[in-house]
Amino acid sequence: MHTAGETPSIRRRLLALLLIPTALIAAAATYSAYRTSLAPIEGAYDAELLDTALAVASNLEAHDRTAPTLELTPDAVRLLRSDAHDNIYYRVSGSDGHFMAGDHDLAVPHQGVGNPEFSQATYRGEPIRVVSYRASAASGGAIVTVAETLHKRQSARRHVLRSSLTVDAAQLATALAVIWFGVRFAIAPLRDVERQLAGRWPRQLTPIGTEGAPIEIRSLIDALNHLFRSLQEAQLAERSFLENAAHQLRTPLAGMLTHLELLASGHSQVDLARARAALEGAKRLARTTQQLLALARSDAAARAGGDFQTLSLPAVIEACAESRLPAADSAGIDLGAQVEPAEVRGQRWMLEEALGNLVDNAIAATPAGRSVTLRCGRERDCTFLEVSDAGVGIPPAERERVFERFYRASNSRAAGSGLGLAIVSEVARVHGAALSVDAGERGEGTRVRMSFPQT
Amino acid sequence: MRILIVEDEALIAEGVRQALLGAGFAADAVGDADAARAALQAESFDAAVIDIGLPRESGLQLVRSLRLHRQGLPVLILTARDAVTDRVTALDLGADDYLTKPFHVTELVARCRALVRRAHHVSSSIMELGDLRLEAASRHAFARERPLDLTLREWSILECLVLNAGRLVGKDRLMSAVSDWSDEVSPNAIEVYVSRLRAKLGDAVRIRTVRGLGYSIDAHGR
Repeated sequence: MHTAGETPSIRRRLLALLLIPTALIAAAATYSAYRTSLAPIEGAYDAELLDTALAVASNLEAHDRTAPTLELTPDAVRLLRSDAHDNIYYRVSGSDGHFMAGDHDLAVPHQGVGNPEFSQATYRGEPIRVVSYRASAASGGAIVTVAETLHKRQSARRHVLRSSLTVDAAQLATALAVIWFGVRFAIAPLRDVERQLAGRWPRQLTPIGTEGAPIEIRSLIDALNHLFRSLQEAQLAERSFLENAAHQLRTPLAGMLTHLELLASGHSQVDLARARAALEGAKRLARTTQQLLALARSDAAARAGGDFQTLSLPAVIEACAESRLPAADSAGIDLGAQVEPAEVRGQRWMLEEALGNLVDNAIAATPAGRSVTLRCGRERDCTFLEVSDAGVGIPPAERERVFERFYRASNSRAAGSGLGLAIVSEVARVHGAALSVDAGERGEGTRVRMSFPQT
Repeated sequence: MRILIVEDEALIAEGVRQALLGAGFAADAVGDADAARAALQAESFDAAVIDIGLPRESGLQLVRSLRLHRQGLPVLILTARDAVTDRVTALDLGADDYLTKPFHVTELVARCRALVRRAHHVSSSIMELGDLRLEAASRHAFARERPLDLTLREWSILECLVLNAGRLVGKDRLMSAVSDWSDEVSPNAIEVYVSRLRAKLGDAVRIRTVRGLGYSIDAHGR
């Protein structure tokens, strides 16, 4: 699949719409699981810290009138301060805040309503967790503050974070993979339609099959099929227009020609010259009409993708030569052929029309007593069809331009519409044939060759 | 020889009728298929020129109905449409020839003459082309009523050419016309036979060589 820079892609949209929320949800879940599993751990450490504070408080001794006293043996203090990971600090203060025992620079947190009260602080440059416990009035109301550094808490936190990240990353990766392949699988029917369309020849306008196509793209396919149908109808309409135009143009021409021919072969000397002039005009009009129609039809056929058949070029030459024999005869031209077996894929009327135009041109350009030759055969890797004459030739500079519509070579002698070679060019294009014009083998006259790719 | 013209365009119908009259045919023109059937029932015709684009019932349908009723009348179809399928359909339905409008009236006359000649050849086995007459049953040929002394192969070639007068007849077609089971005839031999034929025919008819393709016979002996 090719994706151009800014081309919208359903796959990308789907992936973005599914992947981003999924990733966000996974991140939120990870965070919440981390927080949830952290709370009991913190609670347990706090409880342990409080136990220490209570243990210290239990050593307080109350006195009636004076402040309470604290009896802690060095062993007890060592035990109190011993911890594998953290430093333990403590301070016992009197109810008025005066220092009684422990670390005298450990700040006593401001006493709130809670007892015990937990808080965070910094001590000797390290963050600490502090618990402050106010002993009962029976014990003299002393305040026991115990604190510890956060090493084991941080290590627990890291551990929890690592394990929940690992699990969730695995889950996220699985979800992403499922989405990725799911999207690919879901848009596979689109690819099928794409393949169907790509496999068409250019003018194929038959509907796309909706079998097996998902509901979501049915309406797209229906719209395409609707378009195909309208195009097909337009093609048919154009074809029938051309048929009608042909009929409307040719019928009156046929009538006119018939009468003019009769007049021109009559014997009234007065009318004869006029009739012949009118006949010449009518013939030219007929020829131009025929050529314009042929051009329009080959245009339409090219767009409709004509149904090609395997054609024998010798047969095409024979038919063309037969129809042009009378014209060659009356011009005193030796019309002949050199045919070798050769076949091409094509439309017969088009090739006959093209060849006919070439022969008409050749006959018009060739002086009486000389020859016009039709050839076909195979040469190297192509099949050719050509007409050569011994006429005036086409100036080399104009050889490209003669295939343009209505262009007439500067030295052309006969009257003509300038459409004949445009038709030849169009027919060649439709058949994928190359056209070449040169002066023929002996360097005199004109040789026009259509070279078809070998089938 | 009488020819029925079935054409709704009066301009063409009248022109064709005049041309056929001028060429020595009798000719009648009608404008649609029903009138054509009525005319064919009432009178006898040697050939019909039928336009495809008739009103109501097309020329193709007319040809089909004629053939269904086993009328062997030679038919030349006129069409203003150049869709190849029309021509193929016309010939499939039993038309004998077709011309596309606009046509040269001289060609139409020549085609009609050929149609009638072929039909005659089948029914009476006599063919005429200009000053030449062939009698198929006896295999006798006459040029300006002078009997010609032709070999069997020369006669076969001449018959094949006359049956297709005005048309291009390929060498291979002439070869198959004269070859029999025991003997293949070479292209060179055909050339020899044709040149002998030319000598014997004199200027009664002309056999034209179409270089590289074959021969064509016509009546304009010159």
